[in-house]
Amino acid sequence: MDIFLQLVTTGILVGSVYGLVALGWVVIYKCSGVLNLAMGELTLIGGYVCLSLYSGFCLPLLSQTGFCYSGFVKWMGPGAALGLGVMGSLVVGFLLGLLTERLFLRKMIGEPILAVIMVTVGLSFFLKGIVFLVWDTDLRVFTPPVFPSTDLRIGGHLVDGVVRGGIGINQVYMWAFFASMLLMLAFILFFKYTRWGLAMQACADDEMAALSLGVSAKFVYALAWGIAFMSAGVGGTVLGNINGLNQSVSYLGLLVLPAVVFGGLNSVPGAIVGGITIGLIQNLAGGYLDQFFPGGIKEVAPFVFMVLFLLFKPYGLWGWERIERV
Amino acid sequence: MESYEADQKWWRTRFIKGKMLLMIVLLVAFPFLVDKQWLSVAYTINYYILAALGVQLLIGYCGQVTLGHAAFVAVGGYCSCLMVMFLPWPEVLRHAGLAYPISMICAGLLAGVWSVLFGLPSARVKGFYLILTTMAAQWITVDLIIQQYVSQVGGRLQSFSIPTEALKVGPWLLKEPSEIGTWTLESDAKIYYLSVVVVAICLLATGNLLRSKFGRAWVAIRDNDIAAETMGVNIVWYKLIAFFVAGFFGGIAGAFHISTLSFVSPENYPWTYSLIWVGVILIGGVGSIQGLVFGSIFVVGVFKLLELGAGLVNIHLVEYYPQLEWLTMKVDILKDVTFGLAIILFLMYEPNGLSYRYWQLKNYFNLWPFSYQAK
Repeated sequence: MDIFLQLVTTGILVGSVYGLVALGWVVIYKCSGVLNLAMGELTLIGGYVCLSLYSGFCLPLLSQTGFCYSGFVKWMGPGAALGLGVMGSLVVGFLLGLLTERLFLRKMIGEPILAVIMVTVGLSFFLKGIVFLVWDTDLRVFTPPVFPSTDLRIGGHLVDGVVRGGIGINQVYMWAFFASMLLMLAFILFFKYTRWGLAMQACADDEMAALSLGVSAKFVYALAWGIAFMSAGVGGTVLGNINGLNQSVSYLGLLVLPAVVFGGLNSVPGAIVGGITIGLIQNLAGGYLDQFFPGGIKEVAPFVFMVLFLLFKPYGLWGWERIERV
Repeated sequence: MESYEADQKWWRTRFIKGKMLLMIVLLVAFPFLVDKQWLSVAYTINYYILAALGVQLLIGYCGQVTLGHAAFVAVGGYCSCLMVMFLPWPEVLRHAGLAYPISMICAGLLAGVWSVLFGLPSARVKGFYLILTTMAAQWITVDLIIQQYVSQVGGRLQSFSIPTEALKVGPWLLKEPSEIGTWTLESDAKIYYLSVVVVAICLLATGNLLRSKFGRAWVAIRDNDIAAETMGVNIVWYKLIAFFVAGFFGGIAGAFHISTLSFVSPENYPWTYSLIWVGVILIGGVGSIQGLVFGSIFVVGVFKLLELGAGLVNIHLVEYYPQLEWLTMKVDILKDVTFGLAIILFLMYEPNGLSYRYWQLKNYFNLWPFSYQAK
């Protein structure tokens, strides 16, 4: 029973990060109808930008001339430096989102769906290449480590002054959970109480009506991409804290797709629930089924679940059903 | 045109037949005209053509978007590799050199069946959800089944190295140079000829399939599947047939590909290649066979040019600008960046692909000095 509770806890904590990234995806789909397959690379960019702000950065071409920047962590402690790094990556992500939408996606408005999806695929190749040109393909970790590596223990008993037994929660996961919840709350408040958020909701609900009332569609699309970059960036930062940043973080970004399929492509709470469910499924499958498969089933389990789920309920839990006419 | 048959003929005039003859002569004489490195470019182009053929069938002609084709190519490659290495062939077949061609066909059939298995969701979902199920097919096949089960066959660790005597087509060993009269034919040239023959047969077969009942049904499904169903086309059946044929050609592509490799491992078939082949048909033009050829030539050509450029930079510029050395070390990453940018730019500015420009050029010469065809 202990193992089950441990897996469930870790699953929920990690799933909140997937939920955050899925939120960004759903915002893009709701507001502009673009099915974005580049989510993995958006998480990469956010993570690497935060890493550079945190521990310093040298421009590759000018490294001979010594144009290096020493990083926030040299001036303040790790916690504050990470906080500032996350703020910085939010700003950079937002600007990159505006730029991406203006350069690449403005022209694709109204094109058939395959073309738009393939533009995002091309974008994913492009962004991945840029990330690996600027920062190498080696594993990069946040040095000095931000979070202590000892686990928090819940529900255990004291032995020799140290709590043993119970459920161990990795501190990184706990802070990841808090960060995701905070950011999700911020986005939900943004959508509900600000004018821009209301404009986005209007555009997502019925674009023609919103346009006729004076909402600027280009503005809404740009905001949607900015929000997606921001949420994916925070997701990348926390995922990078767990295991280090390299190409595998972009695979974790692709897990957002089963999450949104489960929750419904059109639904923001569905995305969050879907993310948590995918985190749960991944951890439970990893814990219980790993012994049957020689190399581990953790990566593939969400996709198997997604295929099975698609056969029974194609539109997800809260998705809108498409009624097609000839 | 007087009859339907005469209308559907591919090569209707003597001029076109003459052009075809010229193309055959050029293809046969190609290895003797160029440097050795371009032969590997040529058979890579043919490999991409074969692999993207299945994708073009599914996306361009049947309207089912698939992003997992590398899985079926991998199935074909592994099936052929295992058959050639482990199956106890009778000596007659081995001496006659029929083991590899037979294994190619069996690989195609197995990949076709596997593709139908993952095409079953198409009866229930379409559009974006089908993209997701085919992506899942890619990961389940390559990362789970091949990486963990099939690679371990025979106790090896992760990759199969193919013995050179195993790849024999007719009397010619593919991996070693052989003598014909007084000429020596290099192994690259033999692989190139094999690729040309296989591509020719597959493209002719596909062309025939497309001007038959199947092709018409597929185009109907692509354009409006609900209307097609009301007209009596059994869309589930034809969709599954499309997946089977696409998987079949993918399997043949995989089986051909192993003759160009020295060892077969699951890293040859990552998801990146599925995306590259979809990119190939988008650059070349969706929905036409010439689009395949143009797209493959463009993509492989661009990759090769990048390599050559990096080599030139390495030789000439590194003494003057030592900072640029990082460019040559990261050629693979530059290929990714260029490919991504190429897809984006083509989709933004040239959505009909290269075959549309070719069609415009051909029409210009066909209609000259007129500028349009009067009714």
